[in-house]
Amino acid sequence: MKYDVVIIGSGPAGSVTARFAADGEAKVLVIERRAEVGVPILCGEGISRKIDEWKIIEGKRWIAGRMDGARIYSPDKTCVTLGAEQAGDETGYVVYRDIFDQELARNAIKAGATFMMNTQAIGLIKEGDKIKGVRAKRFDGELKIEADIVVGADGVESKIGQWAGIDTRLDPKDLETCAQYTLTNIDVKDAYCDFYLGKEIAPGGYVWVFPKGKNIANVGIGILASLSEAGRAKKLLDDFIAKDPRMKNSSPIRFLAGAVPVANPVETVRDNLILIGDAARHVDPITGGGLTHCLEGGKIAGEVIAKAVKAKNFSQGFLSEYETRWKEAFGQKIKRNYLVKELMLDMDDKTFNKLANALKDVKFEEISTHSLVKEVAKHLPISAKLNALIKYRKEIKEIKKK
Amino acid sequence: MGKPKANVDKKKCLACGGCISVCPQDAISWIGNKAEVNPEKCISCAICIRTCPIGAISGEGY
Ligand SMILES: Cc1cc2nc3c(=O)[nH]c(=O)nc-3n(C[C@H](O)[C@H](O)[C@H](O)COP(=O)(O)OP(=O)(O)OC[C@H]3O[C@@H](n4cnc5c(N)ncnc54)[C@H](O)[C@@H]3O)c2cc1C
Ligand code: SF4
Ligand code: SF4
Repeated sequence: MKYDVVIIGSGPAGSVTARFAADGEAKVLVIERRAEVGVPILCGEGISRKIDEWKIIEGKRWIAGRMDGARIYSPDKTCVTLGAEQAGDETGYVVYRDIFDQELARNAIKAGATFMMNTQAIGLIKEGDKIKGVRAKRFDGELKIEADIVVGADGVESKIGQWAGIDTRLDPKDLETCAQYTLTNIDVKDAYCDFYLGKEIAPGGYVWVFPKGKNIANVGIGILASLSEAGRAKKLLDDFIAKDPRMKNSSPIRFLAGAVPVANPVETVRDNLILIGDAARHVDPITGGGLTHCLEGGKIAGEVIAKAVKAKNFSQGFLSEYETRWKEAFGQKIKRNYLVKELMLDMDDKTFNKLANALKDVKFEEISTHSLVKEVAKHLPISAKLNALIKYRKEIKEIKKK
Repeated sequence: MGKPKANVDKKKCLACGGCISVCPQDAISWIGNKAEVNPEKCISCAICIRTCPIGAISGEGY
């Protein structure tokens, strides 16, 4: 089997890359170890409405409900609101991730890509150091798929980078370990997504309640793996649900475990190789959101791959246009929010309460981590600001060293 | 005697991939769409055990 591109993983990153590469006439194969695209769902399913502008996914079947805004609760339950009233329409959706992923896959197939399910990549094909494709397991057989470009879109558990010599292992302080119930018969009164912070509630992370329509919501938790113990995420989530009066008569229709990288992105381009999505650690380290980056990054990767195929140039130099462009699109944001994440880790519950108190009446002009971070910065205690500065300096030094 | 190696209870594992991403030895892989530890590579550091959100990994004696 010989393709121009083989993409490992049929998540949003893989499917969007496939679609734009195929649009540019590349011969694309996507392999996926699971039996069904998007299943099981491993996601909170919240996404910003800015994806409307990109026109990468159309129709409405994937939308479970609107998101009108967000409420962030500090440990003493002081509430900071980022609402639609203050911010116009710029909010979002809660989606059905299985349908969402399948729509993206359908678009890729329409553009000409081939998908192969039940097919797990188990290693790279190499000639010396040169990457020539992947080896895969399909049921009991093994197959060799040759390709000029291998794309690692294989999620948080990515091995493709590792096999190519890029160190993608995560430090436990750069991983949120998660659990989530989809609860029905829950008393949600509006379309706001709620976030709960606190060292007791969710160390190094938060609890979320994302309504998916009337009386149904995703209720989940993420805690830092460095602050985790075996089964602690699930236990803390169960504690939260037991104490919340809205959830008294609720019952789950789904339970999932999850993992979200909250790290600095890795190197994403080598000769004949691209990494994308969670595999490239393209996740906002504050919110844990990765979907928008998969769409933005996937479009860029697909376009660059199509160019490479036309030019028959698969070198790191040629493919680095992808890295330059994703850095422009969202690389700076991830870097900045990584520093903010580190800073937040040093703050105690008292500081969170104070901050929430200072921000509780602020009218935010847009619903974004950026506007929130800007406001927070104004109210941070001097010690925290100093801390940030020191961390920032250290980071710069390390970058310079490299 | 060395420390016991990590071991995934495949009946419990919900395949989130968290353990795979944090293992410093790259000792965990998907086998049949569940996480599985390669005992040859495992150095018994227990990072995966602490990471698993649902407690599906064990290794006595930690
Ligand atoms: C609990 C939880 C809540 C989240 N909530 C949100 C949210 O509300 N909003 C948001 O924007 N983001 C959220 N995220 C993050 C979001 O889910 C990810 O950023 C997104 O799924 C990344 O997409 P991807 O295509 O990179 O990877 P994935 O969607 O993980 O897809 C990777 C695919 O690769 C396949 N694969 C892996 N290894 C192999 C192999 N060797 N061979 C073949 N196939 C392989 C996998 O089976 C999988 O289908 C959440 C994540 C979790 C865990
Ligand atoms: S962390 Fe736990 S649930 Fe997730 S893949 Fe590993 S063993 Fe399975
Ligand atoms: S105990 Fe440590 S080395 Fe062994 S599988 Fe778990 S994380 Fe990897």
